[in-house]
Parts: sequence; structure tokens; C-alpha cells
Amino acid sequence: MSILEVKGVKKVYTTRFGNNKVEALKNVNFQVEKGEYVAIMGESGSGKTTLLNILAALDRPTGGSVFLDGRNLSDIRESDMAAFRRDELGFVFQDFNLLDTFPVEDNIYLPLVLAGKSYNEMKVRLAPIAEKLGITSLLKKYPYEISGGQKQRVAVARALITGPKLILADEPTGALDSKATDELLSLFNEVNATGQTILMVTHSIKAASHAGRVLFIKDGEVFHQIYRGQDSFSAQYQKISDTLTLLQQTGGERA
Amino acid sequence: MRIGFYMKLAANGMKKNGKFYIPYLLTCICTIAMCYIVSALSVSPTLAAMRGGEMLISLLKLGVWVIIIFSVLLLSYTNSFLRKKRTREFGLYNILGMDKRNIGLILFFETMIMAFLSLFFGLLAGILLLKLAELLLVNMLHADVTYTLIVSWSSIRYTVILFLLIFLLNLLRNLFRITVSRPVELLHSESFGEKPPRANFLIGLLGVLILGGAYYLAVSIEDPISATVWFFVAVCMVIIGTYLLFISGSVVFLKLLQKNKRYYYKPNHFISVSSMAFRMKRNGAGLASICILATMVLVMIASSSCLFFGEEDSLKERHSRDFSITVQERLSYGTMAPEITASIAKKAEDVMLLHNAQASDLLTYSYLNISCVLDGSALPSDFEESYLQTQNNFSGICQLYFFSLDDYNRMMDTDYTLNTYEMFLYKKGGRNYAYQELTLPGQTTYHLKAALKSFFDVEDTNSYIGSTYFIVVPDLEAVRSLLPEDYSTFLWYYGFRTPLSAEEQNTMIHDMEVDLSGIFTENSLNAMLRVESVEDDRTDFLAAYGGLFFLGILLSVAFILAAVLIIYFKQISEGYEDKSRFAIMQKVGLTDREIRRSINSQLLTVFFLPLLFAGLHLCFAFPLIKKILLLFGFLNNRLFILTTLISFAAFAVFYTVIYRMTSNAYYDIVRGPRENR
Repeated sequence: MSILEVKGVKKVYTTRFGNNKVEALKNVNFQVEKGEYVAIMGESGSGKTTLLNILAALDRPTGGSVFLDGRNLSDIRESDMAAFRRDELGFVFQDFNLLDTFPVEDNIYLPLVLAGKSYNEMKVRLAPIAEKLGITSLLKKYPYEISGGQKQRVAVARALITGPKLILADEPTGALDSKATDELLSLFNEVNATGQTILMVTHSIKAASHAGRVLFIKDGEVFHQIYRGQDSFSAQYQKISDTLTLLQQTGGERA
Repeated sequence: MRIGFYMKLAANGMKKNGKFYIPYLLTCICTIAMCYIVSALSVSPTLAAMRGGEMLISLLKLGVWVIIIFSVLLLSYTNSFLRKKRTREFGLYNILGMDKRNIGLILFFETMIMAFLSLFFGLLAGILLLKLAELLLVNMLHADVTYTLIVSWSSIRYTVILFLLIFLLNLLRNLFRITVSRPVELLHSESFGEKPPRANFLIGLLGVLILGGAYYLAVSIEDPISATVWFFVAVCMVIIGTYLLFISGSVVFLKLLQKNKRYYYKPNHFISVSSMAFRMKRNGAGLASICILATMVLVMIASSSCLFFGEEDSLKERHSRDFSITVQERLSYGTMAPEITASIAKKAEDVMLLHNAQASDLLTYSYLNISCVLDGSALPSDFEESYLQTQNNFSGICQLYFFSLDDYNRMMDTDYTLNTYEMFLYKKGGRNYAYQELTLPGQTTYHLKAALKSFFDVEDTNSYIGSTYFIVVPDLEAVRSLLPEDYSTFLWYYGFRTPLSAEEQNTMIHDMEVDLSGIFTENSLNAMLRVESVEDDRTDFLAAYGGLFFLGILLSVAFILAAVLIIYFKQISEGYEDKSRFAIMQKVGLTDREIRRSINSQLLTVFFLPLLFAGLHLCFAFPLIKKILLLFGFLNNRLFILTTLISFAAFAVFYTVIYRMTSNAYYDIVRGPRENR
């Protein structure tokens, strides 16, 4: 059963002054099955971020629809939107988006606090996640006291703690060094192995090679997709790399 | 050339950060205007000429100092915020290869520009506001008030020098901060939370002690004029104590709130408490400033309005009859024999008849008055020394008024009797008389026969300074010969009620003065003659108290403006600081409604604190203000309590409205632009 269904999504931006219309997304169609780990790749300007914003309900499509667990996102009232994001989605951002005002622990609690959960419940939920992510010793520290890799793990913990249907990751390795990148990617695989659905937007081949499936976006459409299957990360890396090269060479023709 | 470059950098930097610099500029302008107004008033000759003017001037002189202390604290608070905002930019300049001297130069120019703009507009605002006040006042009290508040150059100079010093102080602090920190620290300074001050407990304890000391002083000061210095010290202590207590208190308070998990981990408290804790010191300082301004406003409005509205009471206190003639002279002149007063009374009756005064309720008496510090139950032997003592021991002063038994029996319709060396005593005010006798110079001792329960109305006795006793003796002339001539006065009073109109009374005053002066020149009398009517005095009172009331409102407006600016500055600056945090939280799933609720929670947590403490300060200032009001001849406690309560309530409402409005500004900032839907 698919947990995310994107049907004919279209997004047209109108420039602020002129009547120039920019078509960021033409016609995007794909599905994500429960427990899948999907990476979306594309060059800058290909519409990746627009797509992610639409999936995150931060933006509304001009046409088409997005179903999360069978529920059409455009049916959700604006006032319920924030609560929907909080309860159903988990976010991991490139620049972590942790709050300086809170210690690590409270940063992770934030979505639960907003959801009105009791302190005891939050504590019970946090313990196993912190253990798994290896951040138990950091809980009392402040974001400015820990490293980038640690910050990203905290962000992952914050995304996981609500038990979301879908985790949306936007260039999660973008601000990390290679060691921290490796750690985070294997963490994502572990999380995915527990049944968590992950959708990651990236232009890092390395990051994408860890996903079970890679979608390629070009000129506002899903251009191609490849499954990893039983391949090793490095074999997948090679496949993605080849595909990207091909994409550039064909310059818009379907492979 | 190079200099021009740095000036441009400074100007551009300020322009780019306009949303922080404009509130800062407004705050500076307001404090400068406030300082100028108070300082210009404190040297105003018109004010000095008013009833109670000297007192007012000395209070305003203190007020200048209070404002100086306040300005230093306030501007260093706002400056510390701006510095934090700019350090990131300076860190970047530093990394891009600008050395710290260059950055110092930019800072210098920034300060120069800021100082120039704020002094120019601040003084302009101050001068215009005073001028406007003058025009309004003249229009409002169309009495012959010549309220000319000229532009005071000395005050301008004073304000300019003072604020240049404050700006310099802030510049030095900024420079110091830049020089001691490393570029990377500068770059990231914004994301560090404020650490609680070291020895926070000690600071809090110090605050409590200072505040307690100030309260004790305020309650124990017997006479505000004689203890001017202590009065001033008490005011300064309240300011400093409030700052210390608020800063350390808010740290402790927020820590406690964070420890209380069930309170802290609620959607509406979570965000507000943590962001307050993030900038706890600044928060405390801001709240303390608001609290102090609120206290000043309340004190001024409550006291000046009760003088204004209590004008009738003061008139009654001052005039026991509608129309009165008073003759007063120093005993050493010795011209006022009983025959003279009798002939004055006769003449007065003629004039009254002429004007058809229909006099009723006649009150006439004579008394001898001396004020001194008693030596047990005896008048001091050395009056020279005693007189000097009275100059710095107001509470120890005894005011003795000697009346004749005849006058008393006549006025009170009694037939008491006294032997030659016996007396009656009536305590008008102050301490009870502890002795059974009173010894006058020359070893003449009068024995107390009985304490009187009631006395007829005696006008204009300063019953609020020290202790006041009315003493009834069988023979006033005998006492007159015993009292030290140079330190005693004789007074004769003749008063009555009359149904005449204010105008008719005025013509009667005039005729009376002319006719009675005739007697004075005839007998070459040296005494002072006063012919007064309530109606005549009412205009004077209205002018004087109206002026005071107006002054109170003027100063309050200036102070309220400053308070509004601080609140606004606090909200705006915190709004921009919190903007990115709220953006993150919105991504994580914070709804608009929850933003609202979190703002409300912050409001409820800290909103009442300044108001609460302003109320507390006011309670302790109460006895002191009462004493000051007494010097203006004001005695109505009930009215004072009423005006204080009304002022407090009005201020609370006003404060709520302002807080609401500025928190809307905060909300608009943190919520960010509407999403593109």
C-alpha cells in the first residue's frame, strides 16, 4: 500500500511584477510505498525544493494532488496544516534548524510539546531514540556546544520522536563533513530498517546511493528512476553517476 | 578619503539595521527630551516664584539626577542589544581583513551620527514640548498666569554634555567588547544565550538589601527638606535596587519555571519561558526600567492631581473665614498695643458697613508665637543657639502659640478661669506634651491646669512641622514681656463670613487696605497688614495648583513616552531576534494560534511584575509624598489615596493597551510573511 501518492502535480510561479510565468513543476507523478527509502535527485533549478515544499504542505500545488496515507493534502484546512505537519511528518533540514534557546533535549521535545503531550510521555519516547542515535550524553547541552554531525542527529531525533508517517529530508548531508555524512547515512538506513518511510531530496550521489530507490527530476518532471535492489552502495553509486551523466548528455530526452 | 569611507560604512550599517536603530534613536531622543525638560524646569524662575516653588525646584533638581541615573542604565541596556546585533557584522569585517582599529573607527562614527541626531531631535522635542505646555497652560488657566518657560541655554549645554558622556561610555564599552573577543566569537555571538550573572544570588540579595534600605529611609525620613540628601539617596537606591532585583530575580524565577516540568512543557509556556531565559539579563533590565518609569509617573500624577483637586480643602484649611484681616509683627517692634488693634477693628467695621458686608460668625483673637527646640519643659535660655537648631531639626521643633483666656472664653463660649501662673494646653499637632508645666525665660513657670479638648479655628498654623501647642494664659501681656523679642511674633486676627460676591469682596479688600493703611501711617506702625478673602485666594490657588498639575502631566507624558518606547524597543528587538526561531518552529508545526498563545503567556508571566513593584514602591513612597504635600498645605489623606488609586488603575489600563499593541507588532514580525497559498 502506498503511503504517499503524487498525481500530476504542477506548480507555476508568477514573477512579482511582470506576467512572466515560471513553471517549476510540470507534471510530477510517483508513489512511495510504506517503509520505502526514496531519494529524489536533480540539478539546481530542477524543481526539487518546490516539490519538497509541496510534499511538506508548506506550499500548495497549482494543479494535481498529493495524498498522504490516502488523505488529500489540499483537503486539509489551513488552520490544521501546522498540526498536520507536526503529527504526520518529520523534517530533517540541511542547516539543522535547531533552536539556540533550547538545550538539545528540549529541541527534540519541541513537536511533542506543541502537540500537548505530557512530560512523562515525552521522556519515555526520547530514551530509546536518543540511545539509538547516540546522543544521550548530549541531551543537556546547547546546540552551539555540539558539532554539525551531532546537530543533525539531534534533528533526526526531533523528526523521529512524533512517530511520523513520513520523514522528509532536505539535503541532510549538505552541511556535514564526509565522516559525519557516512554516519548520518548509515543512521538513515538503520531507521529505514525499522520500517520508517523516508523521502530525501539531495544532489549528493553518495547520499542517494543509500536509498532504496532514486527518482531523477529534470525540467519539472520525474525523468527516470532506479532501484538499488540487492546492489552494494558502491554499485548503486556507479549506476546513479552513470544515469546523471546520461541525463546531461541526452539533454531532456527520455533515457 | 579613508575617513569618508568609514563614515559611509557606519552610515550604511545603521541604515541597513534601521529597524533596530530607529527604536534606539527614538529612545535616545525621548530620554534627552525628558532630561532637558526637567532640567529646564528646575532653573525656571516662574516656577521658583510659585507657592511651594522652592520645594518644587529642589525636587526637580533631584529629578535631574534621577533621570541621569536612569538614562545611563536605559541607554546601556539598549546599547548592549544593538552591540549584540552588530557584532556578527563586525566579525565578518574582521575576517575579511579589517583590523580592530578600523572597526573601532566605524563604531566611533556610528556613535557620532547617533549622538548628533538624537541630541538635535531630542532637544528640539524638549523645547517644543515645553513651549506647547506653556501655551496650553496660559489658555487653560485664563487667570493672569505668566508662565514663561524660556529656552534655557544652560540646560541645553548640560544635556548635551551629559549625553555625550553617556554615548562615550557606551562607545568605550563597545570598543572594549570588540577588542577582547576573537573574530569567530564575534561571528557567532548572536546564537549564544545569556549566561546568568556570576554570584546571581549575591546580586539578588544586594538588590533586596538596597531596596529594603531605601524603603526604610523613605518611611523614616521625618522631613523631606531637612533630609534632602537622604531623600535623594533613597530614590537612587530604589532605582539601583530595582535593577538588581529584577535582573537576578528574573533569572531565578525563570529557572524555577523551567524546573517545573509540568508548567514548562506546555505549548504556550515552553517557547515564552525559554526565550525569556535566553535573554534573562536584558529582560530584567527592561522590566526594571518600565517599573521605575511607572513609579515616577504614578508619583507625579497622584500627587499633583490631588493638590489640584484638593484645592478647596487647602483653601478651607488656610481660611477659617471668608474674609480676614491679619496684622503681624515681630515682638521687638512693640507697636501693637491692644488699643491699636481695637481701633483697627473699629475702622474695619466702618468699611464693612459701607459695603453692606452682612458679616456673621465673627472670629477675632490675638496670639504670641515662638518656635524653638524645648529644653525639657523650659524654653531654651540661649535663643540664638536654639534658633540655629531649628534649622536642622525640624521634627524637634515646638511651635508655641499663646492665647489669652479672654479670647478663648469669648470664642468658645466658656467661662473657664485660671490663676496667674496657670495655663491650659491644646495639642494641635505632633507629639503629646509630656510635662505638667512650662517655664518661660525669667524663671516664670506656668502650671498646666488642664488639657483642652477643643479649640477655635486658628488660621495658617504650620501644624505639620514638629509639634504645635496652643497655650491659654490668663494675661497675654505678661507673657509678651517674658518672650525673647527677636524670636517671637504677635498676631492679631479679625475674620468673618460674608455673602458678598467675589467682585464685591475684591472692592472691599481694596477699600479696607486703603483705610487701614491710614491708621498704620497715623500711628507709624511697622506691622505687616494682610487683607484677604477666600474668593481672591482661590484664583491664586488655582493658578498655582493648576500649574503644578500641569507640570505633573507634562512630566508624566514625557515619562510615559519613554516607557512606551522601552516596551516598543523590547518587543521589536526581541521580535527580530525570535523571527528565525519562530520560522523553524513553524516548519516543525507551530500554528499561528500557538504563536499568539505563547505571546500571551509571556505577557502574563512578566507583564504584572513592573506594575506590581511600581505599586510597592508607591506604597513606601506614600508617607514621604504626604509630607511633601503638607508643605504645600495639603492635608486630605482620603483624596490623596483616591487619586493614587485612580492613577494606578488608569496607568494599569494604559500599560495593558500599550503592551497589547506592541505585542501585535511582535506577532507580525515573528509570524513572518504569509505563506504563498
